[in-house]
Amino acid sequence: MSNEPEVIVSNEPWNKPLPNIDKDNEAFYEGLKKHKFLVWRCKTCGASYWPKAYCINHDNEPFAANMEWVEASGRGKIFAFNRHHMVFHPGFAAETPYVYALVELEEGPLVSSTLVGSRTPKDVYDVGQKVVVVYEDHPAEGFTLPRFRIVD
Amino acid sequence: MPKHPSSGQYAIVGLGVVAGQQPDRSERMIAAEAARLAIKDAELTPKDIDGAIDLRRTGGGGDRASYVDAYSRILGLNNCFYFVVGRGGALAGLGIATALSFLDRGIAKYVCIMGAVTDWSQAQESRKHGHRGMAHAEKAGYWGKAVGDLRAVSHHSWMAARHMAVYGTTSRQLGAISVAERAWACKNPEARMYGRPMTIEDHQNSPLIAEPYHLLDISLVSDGGIAFILTTADRAKDRPKPPVYVLGQGFGEVSADLWWEKKNFTHMAVPRARDQAFGQAALTLDDVDCCQFYDCFTAEVLFQLEDYGFCKKGEGGPFVESGAIGPGGSIPVNTGGGLLSCYHLGDLTGMAESIRQLRGEAGERQVKDCNVVLTSGHGGELISPGMCSIHTSTLLGRYQ
Repeated sequence: MSNEPEVIVSNEPWNKPLPNIDKDNEAFYEGLKKHKFLVWRCKTCGASYWPKAYCINHDNEPFAANMEWVEASGRGKIFAFNRHHMVFHPGFAAETPYVYALVELEEGPLVSSTLVGSRTPKDVYDVGQKVVVVYEDHPAEGFTLPRFRIVD
Repeated sequence: MPKHPSSGQYAIVGLGVVAGQQPDRSERMIAAEAARLAIKDAELTPKDIDGAIDLRRTGGGGDRASYVDAYSRILGLNNCFYFVVGRGGALAGLGIATALSFLDRGIAKYVCIMGAVTDWSQAQESRKHGHRGMAHAEKAGYWGKAVGDLRAVSHHSWMAARHMAVYGTTSRQLGAISVAERAWACKNPEARMYGRPMTIEDHQNSPLIAEPYHLLDISLVSDGGIAFILTTADRAKDRPKPPVYVLGQGFGEVSADLWWEKKNFTHMAVPRARDQAFGQAALTLDDVDCCQFYDCFTAEVLFQLEDYGFCKKGEGGPFVESGAIGPGGSIPVNTGGGLLSCYHLGDLTGMAESIRQLRGEAGERQVKDCNVVLTSGHGGELISPGMCSIHTSTLLGRYQ
């Protein structure tokens, strides 16, 4: 299996809410643009966080000084999901219904996004599938969003 | 354990409710009217009210456009303080906890605690632009909107889904909660769904919104305002309406765990809140005559029934399916119809119903010999994916 990440390039005009990029997560979004999924890791004990946090396992002085963004595996498994049937926002009309999944990363934290591809869970009791991150580039907008694909 | 010295020392002496769609009124005017009704209900005047608290959901659970004014100014209260408290749907419980410190020190004699919303009216506007549900302002730190996490149901439905996957709970069992609350609402002329009975088939046939949730798993979008007057027990005895005593309060926070702690998708932050509230009141679950649980969605009711201990974890589905929480059941829950079938004013919906039950004013839905009511608040989404963070537990009683 290739280690090259899967990338989707979208040149569609963005008519949905913009990602909420701020000082706390701009490094994470920069990582996505480079097709890397970053988690916030403690250099002292190796605990991974997403999003940013203070390492709860020990003191780190000055504030969060021993934390850094590092590349994660981009792999995980579906913890829970739902299937959106209602169009809450007009920008999502074309893709509804869509599966919005809560993914348990190999590194521990839960992250959510939608699934790409034809494989979706068959019903609400069907969870635990392996997934990998897919990078969806929006070059005209200057950001990349993570999606997930179910894999064997 | 003896009860805490504060238990039964504070009481609610007035209640004001503005219910139903209010297309022609601002939140400010609804707020003032609810407060005026509460003051009148206590047979007090605006000049007797020396403290005012405004309950708003800002600070979690969907920021709405704010406004700059105070119902205390509109009504001409004689208040020495006015401020905003609230976290998502956790409003009344926090309002009571806050007001106690002013009453306790003699800073205020009568505190008016009020919350008002115009969610329904605002939703009619945003609907014209192709949006559905409540209009929210963008929140810093919120993850999911760009990837389709657009409304509370976008992530709350994971809790239902997770409980189903772990414990085998079914959509019909969640629907049994909606059916029970609707049966209660049909006994409450103030409820939005009064006169509109529903069956489990109605639930199953209602559109899927965010599967596993059907439309009838989801709370209402409402306009309205609820206010109540809190004072000390000695003053309460001189008021005309039967006092409703605050017997105990407790608080829990999901954020005390790592926010991706998996149990928080099948549990709520109940244990600490429950133990604090029941400990102060020196009561047990057996003393509770009815519950007014925060029910933004059906699964939250299921979780609380399990987390408080009315049934074992994972057994909430069969428990509600047996009819335990509806009229004639072993533990009446959301006897006014709740957020699902009465109206959604956060935990004020349950607070108003608790007061009516304890005063014996609940009409056809009155729980017999209702002496103790457990009411809860819930709200304040963490990041997203995020379950609501805060849980507030308030025990109210007919006797000190």
